[in-house]
Amino acid sequence: MQKLDLKITELDNPEYSRIVDRAEKRVEEAILYALVRDQARNDEIEILSFPVAVMMVAAANDPFLKRRYALAEAKRAYSILRQESRQKLAEVAQVFNWKIKPVKTDAVIPQTVPADFTLNFVDYLKNTSNFHESKWKLVNRTILHGEVNVTKDEAARLLAEEVRAHMENKLDLKIGFTLPQTVTERAERLKLLFLSRKGQARQEEMPKETTVDAFPPCIRQLYSAAQTGRHISHIGRFALTSFLINSGMTVENVIECFRTASDFSERMTRYQVEHIAGGRGSRTKYIPPRCDTLRTHGVCPGMDEICHRVRHPLAYYRGKLRLIKTQTPAAAART
Amino acid sequence: MQKREFAFLLFKERTMLRHKGFKTIEDFRNFLSGVTPSDVYYSSAYYEKPEEEMDAKGWMGADLIFDIDADHIPTPCDKQHDTWTCKNCGMSGRGAKLEKCPKCAGQKFGDVSWPCEVCLETAKEETMKLIDVLDKDFGLSPKEMNLAFSGHRGYHVHIENEAIKTLDSIARKEIVDYMLGIGLETGLQGFDRGVGPRLEDSGWKGRIAKGTYEFLLTATQEQLENTGLKKKTALQILRQRDKILESWKEKGPWKILKGIGPDSWEKIITKGIERQSIKIDTVVTTDVHRLIRLANTLHGETGLKKIQVSTSEIEQFDPFKSAIAFQHDSVTVDVSESPEFRLGGNTYRPYKNERVELPTAAAMLLLCKGAAKITEETISVQ
Repeated sequence: MQKLDLKITELDNPEYSRIVDRAEKRVEEAILYALVRDQARNDEIEILSFPVAVMMVAAANDPFLKRRYALAEAKRAYSILRQESRQKLAEVAQVFNWKIKPVKTDAVIPQTVPADFTLNFVDYLKNTSNFHESKWKLVNRTILHGEVNVTKDEAARLLAEEVRAHMENKLDLKIGFTLPQTVTERAERLKLLFLSRKGQARQEEMPKETTVDAFPPCIRQLYSAAQTGRHISHIGRFALTSFLINSGMTVENVIECFRTASDFSERMTRYQVEHIAGGRGSRTKYIPPRCDTLRTHGVCPGMDEICHRVRHPLAYYRGKLRLIKTQTPAAAART
Repeated sequence: MQKREFAFLLFKERTMLRHKGFKTIEDFRNFLSGVTPSDVYYSSAYYEKPEEEMDAKGWMGADLIFDIDADHIPTPCDKQHDTWTCKNCGMSGRGAKLEKCPKCAGQKFGDVSWPCEVCLETAKEETMKLIDVLDKDFGLSPKEMNLAFSGHRGYHVHIENEAIKTLDSIARKEIVDYMLGIGLETGLQGFDRGVGPRLEDSGWKGRIAKGTYEFLLTATQEQLENTGLKKKTALQILRQRDKILESWKEKGPWKILKGIGPDSWEKIITKGIERQSIKIDTVVTTDVHRLIRLANTLHGETGLKKIQVSTSEIEQFDPFKSAIAFQHDSVTVDVSESPEFRLGGNTYRPYKNERVELPTAAAMLLLCKGAAKITEETISVQ
């Protein structure tokens, strides 16, 4: 920015309108299509439009818009990075202080999975926590002396993830200056566009009544353990309570579920349930841990058919509810 | 030290004094001698302000901690040294913790667990497996691994490493899954149409091969069928056991047996993975705010010390000798009931309702376990 001599206060100068236009377009594309298309007719405009777009999104100050924009730019980064040479990828990785080494192509060590790089496991883990495919799980990787084998395409994907996280951090920073009026107006317009799109995609609401038949296997098991007063681990209790609250059960009814427990104390249970329901302390309403966390802590009793298609107990519940709903009229028709 | 939270379990009140921070060792010593707690803990986490409430502490990072506790591992002793008493009907028995009282179906128990040689030997084996993986797979040097006997039923491994410090709970969960083999998919570990890993492979590939080899080396028909294999398949494997074991010298057994397809192998391999998985406590490692016992302090349930062990000496390490804090004198105690146990060079027979004079460390263990009381004479002498 400094090198290209662009001053923020001059952004409303007609001279820069093509840059600001392109910046607005970038964000608009992110909102509409969840990606930023390549439009590199003029390199200078393309490069300068990026920081301007970042400023606009930061000014719009909507956490969901920030996430969406960061993701869209990351996707774009991935499509560019995957075309780059190994040398170039390694250089970009070094900008983020990755410990990455190219694998010598004449390596005599037999590899079942071909690798272009080895990446330190800390860098690897930091950039895979949002990935859910089993091929990204550390346990399924080749790791030796702290270094994980990755292909060139995987390295590009991990770098894009680094870009996304980096952008989210940048977008969260408070802007220490005032943007020119016209730019602020554009930011506001983008925010409105985003909100109108978000409104359309609003998630269906949870029904008010809890349907035990739609519980996933883990919650079913915990629920029956609670009802018969069997011992439940700490994380099991948390999963059950947060699940029941999110399924629409009242605090009172959740407390009732635990009444048969041998060490039941109404005061303690109420405190914990209310805390999870968001009525105390930090006022956050908690959601249950996702499936793979429950698996790690031994709460998952084994998966059924629906489990294979979801990653979260609440997603299972929503899916099963829909299934029950569509099946019930048919069942009723038969009787 | 300035960035850690300290916590203390108080003798009389039996409550935890938390959120303490210290600027110097001197301050810490003075505090300890003033309060004399039964147990001392510190946070694996580093905080900007350790003395604040949790939300305001300012988390800066945390050491990576592994806890291997005999409670989480099935052991050959079957925990027969542990006792439980139903708080509802008073029935008591031996063995691992129960869910329900067999007499009255009550679920509230008072239980006493004992540090046992078999339990601790099993925990030690798991710890050595862990160290091996941390070294070979994760490339950590023995210098970065702080290994200690917990003072009761297991071992702790602390990793202090600048890069690892910043890993969040999700990343640590991946390390836990790696140790336990959770989510492992054979298709991603070198299994493909009759080709599979070999014994000399590194990482999980080699461990799958080793675990499977060990399982097949001694497996009985019953054990094979328990994996879900058909009787016919189990018998076929037993008949050809020599051929299977021999095949490991080359490409492994994955293709040599007719009629044993990928599904059957998957069942056998699951057993192999189970053998090689490292039984760490999943909650401790994923918790980035954990409090851990401070090394060289006493464990309130045994009177033994949490003591550091170097990774090269773990194999010969004898916790019942090295962790003894009270080396001198003896104390006379009234013992209600105790199993046979060993401390240092002495093995003590089971006692029941009797008065015995014991070396201080042995008396201390019984006192901590609530199995003995100090005699009135002892108190009056003091």
